[in-house]
Amino acid sequence: MGKSKGSVMMKAVCYIFLLAGLLVILYPLFLTVITAFKTPAESAENFFALPSGLNFENFINVFQKGNAGLSFLNSFKVTVTSVALILITIPMCGYAIARSMDRSKYYRNIYYVLLIGIFVPFQVIMVPLVMYLGRMNLCSIPGLVIMHVTLASSQGVFLIVNYVKAVPRDLEEASYIDGCTTFSGYVKVVLPLIKPILATIMVLNVLWVWNDFQMPLLLLNRSPEMFTLPLFQYNFTGQYTNDYNMAFASFLVSMIPVLVIYAFAQKHIISGLTQGAVKS
Amino acid sequence: MNRIGNRDNNRRANAERRSTMFLFTLPTMILYVVFFLVTMAIGLYYSFTDWNGLSKEYSIIGLKNYTSVLTDYRFGKALLFNIKYTAAIVIGITVVALVCALALNNVKRFSTFFRSVYFIPAVISMLTVGLIWNELFLRALPLVGQALGIKALSSSILANMKLAFWGILIVNLWQGCAQPMVLFLAGLQSIPSDLYEAATMDGASRWARFRNVTLPYLLPTLNIVVITQTKAGLTIFDYIKVMTNGGPAQSTEAVGLLIYRHAVAEGKFSRSIAESMVLFVIVAAVAALSLKITNKSQVGE
Repeated sequence: MGKSKGSVMMKAVCYIFLLAGLLVILYPLFLTVITAFKTPAESAENFFALPSGLNFENFINVFQKGNAGLSFLNSFKVTVTSVALILITIPMCGYAIARSMDRSKYYRNIYYVLLIGIFVPFQVIMVPLVMYLGRMNLCSIPGLVIMHVTLASSQGVFLIVNYVKAVPRDLEEASYIDGCTTFSGYVKVVLPLIKPILATIMVLNVLWVWNDFQMPLLLLNRSPEMFTLPLFQYNFTGQYTNDYNMAFASFLVSMIPVLVIYAFAQKHIISGLTQGAVKS
Repeated sequence: MNRIGNRDNNRRANAERRSTMFLFTLPTMILYVVFFLVTMAIGLYYSFTDWNGLSKEYSIIGLKNYTSVLTDYRFGKALLFNIKYTAAIVIGITVVALVCALALNNVKRFSTFFRSVYFIPAVISMLTVGLIWNELFLRALPLVGQALGIKALSSSILANMKLAFWGILIVNLWQGCAQPMVLFLAGLQSIPSDLYEAATMDGASRWARFRNVTLPYLLPTLNIVVITQTKAGLTIFDYIKVMTNGGPAQSTEAVGLLIYRHAVAEGKFSRSIAESMVLFVIVAAVAALSLKITNKSQVGE
């Protein structure tokens, strides 16, 4: 009897703890939302109180005084092109390595060279990169996309190689007998088979590219028309330090897209992010 | 099929396969070589020079940058900050994430809901999280401090030399526990429940069950969490840039920020690269060490 009483107690403790954690996670986000809808006067009066009504002025300011719309578009472009290119190039490379590393030294070597990238901190290439890309006139949005695709390759190839190795070759070989070329076999047979790991790579990189701050800061911080959303928020909050209601509106603007996607694809996002962590 | 008869066809197919496979690796490898390896090589070259990033002329000075990095007080201080911070964040995240995972694993109702909410911080950018907490530390926490009469909280803790470290740590914990928590949860759910039952029958206490049943199953996950958080701690940049920018009085100047400042603001281009190479060696050494320890403990099992 004592035992079951103990476990009921334990459950209660767990629930109380989890509810407290819920508060810790949600309260700052709640404050962000209400502050974004308040006027400076309302916030000055009571920071924690609810807004008197839905006041969209802060959001309008974010889009008019700051150029959130353009930054939003830039972020969108950068994310879509980077992730599309990542999903085209990296699985091809990973697949070729996984299928050929047993017979050829070339593939083994490039695999190990690619893996080095996982251990190199970004700071190592950060400084020469700006100079190097500057000389090639690539301190621009295309340059940023190129760097995202490049820096995604180590982890991406690693994930693909491990996944493909566990996929039997039979289906590919059957497709060759049916007259498929290596390329069409890859597109028709291999890609559908490795969909789960492609989803993982997509999730990891969409979030990384959309949220990336360090690289845009280095490459794009000169001209506002190239700002991505993180860069926009950073400069905007610096510019309007006293109008912090507007700052909170800008935070909300940049968070909403990811939160909406999270609400719909939660399962995939959680498993994608955790799988990426397991394997890198 | 007439596979053996069609040797010529076979050979052609093999050649086609090989060339396609080779072509498959090209886009990634060209990008990787041109934009990653070459960049690193350029950096390595300039780390042996005295170039300031702007002037036309520079000379090769050998290892001088490296010796001055290793004897530099500011670099040492920054590195010490990183080491302290990394120790704190590894322990903090492991403990908090593990406790959350254990609590989540212990309840049935609403556990999916809790997990979904707890994971939200992981999808928001570090920058946004840093900026939000920046404002909260500046506007909200002092109000709480005043109401409670705690003097240390009356202004932003990020502006306080003694507390800024903890401010950054709190924010990092708020965001950084989500992913390890899910990993631990998956580890916990992989433990066969009859093991617990057997241990309970044998009269093992809660703690003994945790030590002898749960912990061994969590070791691989623990290892991943420690490695990833160590790398994150040693290379921390976003939070610091946004919340304290290294201040107050350089008390939170991490190596990542120091490199950035030396290169972008202080014209010590080649010096900053030498610093980043030292950081690389440290990260690689830590990674190699932890891999070795893992291998050993796996052999021991």
